[in-house]
Amino acid sequence: MDWEAQLKLQAYLDGELPEAERRRLEATLAQGGQSSLLLAELRQTREALAGFEKEIQMPESREFFWSKIEREIRRQESPARVPAPVSWAARLRRLLVPASTVALLAIAGFLTIRNDGSSLLPGGTEMETALTDTGAFTYRDYSAGTTLVWLSYPAENEPDDDEDAVTLQ
Amino acid sequence: MTPRIRSTALLLGWALAAAIYSGSGLRLQAATLKLQAQLVWGTNDERSPDPKHKPVEAVVKEKLKELPLKWSNYFEINRKNVELSPSGTSKVELSEKCQLEVTSLGGSKLEVILLGKGKETLKRTQALPKGEMLVLGGNAPNATAWLVVLKRIE
Repeated sequence: MDWEAQLKLQAYLDGELPEAERRRLEATLAQGGQSSLLLAELRQTREALAGFEKEIQMPESREFFWSKIEREIRRQESPARVPAPVSWAARLRRLLVPASTVALLAIAGFLTIRNDGSSLLPGGTEMETALTDTGAFTYRDYSAGTTLVWLSYPAENEPDDDEDAVTLQ
Repeated sequence: MTPRIRSTALLLGWALAAAIYSGSGLRLQAATLKLQAQLVWGTNDERSPDPKHKPVEAVVKEKLKELPLKWSNYFEINRKNVELSPSGTSKVELSEKCQLEVTSLGGSKLEVILLGKGKETLKRTQALPKGEMLVLGGNAPNATAWLVVLKRIE
């Protein structure tokens, strides 16, 4: 069975053959053979496909669905918006707002520094180097703002080993 | 943020910035450090054997009392005022055996070197803001103490 005959069978099944050709084909099919077998197979295949074809249910009505598409097409076709002209005052304000923020941060920085340049925040650098074997120790009274460095270095030539000379509370 | 609030914040920010800017000039003028160095003798005796020795001023005595020292009386043996320009160094002779070398390191930061009998004994670097005190001390004969009190005046 050639390719042309198979196409004719498919067209017959779809009801697309002219009357004269349809009659000739029906006469051939009445004799049986490969043509009638193929036709039966094509019918079964079509019925099977038709049975499995799922009907799509739209969540909205047809009219509403198409109206959405229409609105989207109109939106895309509408000309691009031209930005409104910005006044010089608005431009200046845009520039000054971040500048003001920077100024306020600078103020906060200045306010944490005393007039003498020292910071109000804790954590100043302190360093001590005992140049001789002084056995120095340091006591810091933060509330009174006093630092005591005690050395075992004697004031006079005679050493004083009075262990109770200093008492840490 | 509404335009009115934004404008108000803007004006406030610039006003404060201007105030700070004008204040920074004063900051530069206050760069010279004024210090006072005192050699003090700590004792439990009511009076010093040397009539020239005066009790230390009340503010200093009060601060010394707050330190973990056992002496009840403090007498001033010598006092020297020091003025330090930025990065300047000054050597102060408080007694024949006790000298102090102070260097300004910018701001309120100082380097203090204690010299005992001409020999460098201790070097210390620290900030000394106005009103604060650095006290260097040690034992002296007869259960007394010597103290070097460095005070920031300006």
